[in-house]
Amino acid sequence: MTTETRMLSAPSRRAVSVRAIINNAGIGLALLALILFFSLASEFFLTANNITNILTQITINLILAVGMTFVILIGGIDLSVGSVMAFAAVVAGKAITLPGLGVVELIALACVAGLLTGLISGLLNGVISAYWGLPSFIITLGMLNIARGAALHVSDAQTIYSFPFAFEEFGSALIYGVPVVFLVALLITLLAWFVLNWTVFGRLLYGIGNNEEAVRLAGHHVFWLKVAAFTICGFTAGIAAIIYMARLSISSPIAGIGFELNAIAAVIIGGTSLAGGRGSVIGTLLGAFIIGVLANGLILIGLNDFMRQMITGVVIIVAVILDHYRAKYSAT
Amino acid sequence: MPQNILTVSELKKHFGGVRALDGVSFSLTRGETHALVGENGAGKSTLIKTLSGAFPFDSGDIVLDDAPYRPDSPHEAKARGLQVVHQEFNLLNHLSVAENISIEAMPRTRFGILDRAEMNRRARAALDAIGLGDIDVRATVQSLGIAHRQLVEIARALQSDSSILILDEPTATLTERETKRLFDIVADIKSRGVTVVFVTHHLNEVFAICDRVTIFRNGKTIATEVIAETTPAAVVRHMVGRELATERNTYQNRDISGKCALSTHNLKVASNPHPEGLDIAVHYGEIVGIAGLVGAGRTEFLRGIFAADPIVSGHLARNGTPMVFRSPRDAISAGIAFVTEDRKEEGLILDMPISANVSLANMASVSGHGLMRFGLERQRAEDHRAKLQIKCGSVSDAASSMSGGNQQKVVLAKWLARTPEVLILDEPTRGVDVGAKAEIYGILRKLAQEGAGLLIVSSELPELMTLCDRILVMANHRIVGSVSRDDFTEEHILKLAYGQNGTEEGTIA
Repeated sequence: MTTETRMLSAPSRRAVSVRAIINNAGIGLALLALILFFSLASEFFLTANNITNILTQITINLILAVGMTFVILIGGIDLSVGSVMAFAAVVAGKAITLPGLGVVELIALACVAGLLTGLISGLLNGVISAYWGLPSFIITLGMLNIARGAALHVSDAQTIYSFPFAFEEFGSALIYGVPVVFLVALLITLLAWFVLNWTVFGRLLYGIGNNEEAVRLAGHHVFWLKVAAFTICGFTAGIAAIIYMARLSISSPIAGIGFELNAIAAVIIGGTSLAGGRGSVIGTLLGAFIIGVLANGLILIGLNDFMRQMITGVVIIVAVILDHYRAKYSAT
Repeated sequence: MPQNILTVSELKKHFGGVRALDGVSFSLTRGETHALVGENGAGKSTLIKTLSGAFPFDSGDIVLDDAPYRPDSPHEAKARGLQVVHQEFNLLNHLSVAENISIEAMPRTRFGILDRAEMNRRARAALDAIGLGDIDVRATVQSLGIAHRQLVEIARALQSDSSILILDEPTATLTERETKRLFDIVADIKSRGVTVVFVTHHLNEVFAICDRVTIFRNGKTIATEVIAETTPAAVVRHMVGRELATERNTYQNRDISGKCALSTHNLKVASNPHPEGLDIAVHYGEIVGIAGLVGAGRTEFLRGIFAADPIVSGHLARNGTPMVFRSPRDAISAGIAFVTEDRKEEGLILDMPISANVSLANMASVSGHGLMRFGLERQRAEDHRAKLQIKCGSVSDAASSMSGGNQQKVVLAKWLARTPEVLILDEPTRGVDVGAKAEIYGILRKLAQEGAGLLIVSSELPELMTLCDRILVMANHRIVGSVSRDDFTEEHILKLAYGQNGTEEGTIA
């Protein structure tokens, strides 16, 4: 009896894990192929300088995409992250340029202000869409406009600059050629991976994405779980704002236009289903890399930015088509 | 002179490592009514999907009308005269009944514009033909009850001239009266020379209307029998491959003098038109059934108790102490569990592993400080798998990979993990095969013996009569009778259910 069960279970378990590996490995292989292609096509691609460049360019998108993964996993979407990032950056920029405070106080104040702005925006997105059961697409589209308007209003449509030197230092610091800001993004990614895979909270988010009603009837606070996912997404927009400021040494109210779409693209290319319930933050990491490597490599081999944009679009569509087959395959 | 319209031989179909069809052979005689029976997961649905062109088969032969048949699409299947009414509804809920019926060939005027009058006329004729004169063809499908939707779907299938009509569990959502109506319809179709394939879990239906029956087990066809020459017992034996445990009818007397576990007083849900609401009481160790017509408000009442939907007024007490549940969470904390009517929509997270489903209602037992303890979760799932005899490859397989009966056991396991004091069940064995059904009955009885109070809504009277100590009969959101075990007869309960309900809306379910 025992041997029989074991014989039955062994192949099916292997089939499942092999499939899981193929799913993520597929994206990884695509990334490797891209890297291989660009390193053959351009002698500059695999230089230390260029790698530093790519990592710097990926950072903001990766942070936003990690937050976005939480929202998409529960079957939602957050279109406001780009604007919220700008709003948070402007609020933090106002804080960091206050007169009469020490450098440490200013930086701490700016971080708190920026992160809180992101967090509250995300909280509002979550509370409003979850309480009334409204599509987050619409609510966050509204928030996109609110946050952009607020950013312009608070800043008088002026770019804020002249930040403390130590703050700008952080934005451009390298450790063995790796930007510190990228390490921060990587840390956030790992943290998110841990939360989604090893905590009860993460399990329930996947559950909501698959079958919200079953999770509710099992006695869980679906409302707060959803709010938490949106709040995390807003919070990562706050983090992205701080890093954006540190890297560019400015706070612009028109920063981050279209960033939400790049973040969504990274999540989708990374194999997370727009319908919710399926996907991983590791996929998102790879997705962000694919977008970053494409952007960088295509320019290096001499294509202009317009063509880069077209190719990125094609990649998104191909990713979704592949995902369609993946879902079909795993359904049987 | 019998003549085969369809011959299937040695049909095989694999999904990954799973052999869904592993040698299926049977034939259909022109004009016969042929039943396909077998436990869930035996391959009936796969066969139907293969025949209807939903997916291809790996090997074997199908001959339809003396020509090889290998449909690439449902469209091709229809063109060859094979029509399927699927188990899941394929109606467009926001469109009218008439639009749904004509969806495949909308009538047009000379100017190419939709001819609404003609469309409605055709739909009227189609519905009248199967005795559904009471349905307004302009009503949206959404506004119909689930039973009527099923009949509309059949009316639509009859629109196209098909020589083979496959009905996949058509009675699963029908009440007894509608089932009878369906039987009349089937008899009528048959008299027109159409071959009807009837997939069902109910053997009494097979013996009522079918000419022959083919029995499936584990992806194979075991036997084809002529109904007139066989018995239900013989068919069941083929289905399960063993004699069914006789426990179905061994009711054990239990001590049900226990305290009142759950009681309601004037409990009124939104859909209940009577301001006085409902009063019931369930004692520890007791199994209370609720019988009634479809639309009698049984499911809504259960959902109200569990706070799955809000209640309008009235009280609820546990152990005699009044309680207010604001969400299912409160009800669960009070020791109540609720196995919902629809396990796919409300019970299971289909894409998640079986183990994750088992722990869903009791995450605290498989975690510490908010962190998952996967070893423990796996162990708990294995325990339940052994205890409830859940048949699956591995507890890390997706819940969707199991048959209906085993899925239902996983739903039960999810709630048993909380050792509930009151277990509420809505249609606990819908879409569950005979073997698993008997096992589920055993589980429920054992729970009651261990002292839990059970409240069961079921559309199968024999089920309630097998399990319950007491059956409450509901009609039009009122409890119209309470029948104790000594007085259990179908006739008595049916009479009560119809007694105060003069409308044609439902039948005993």
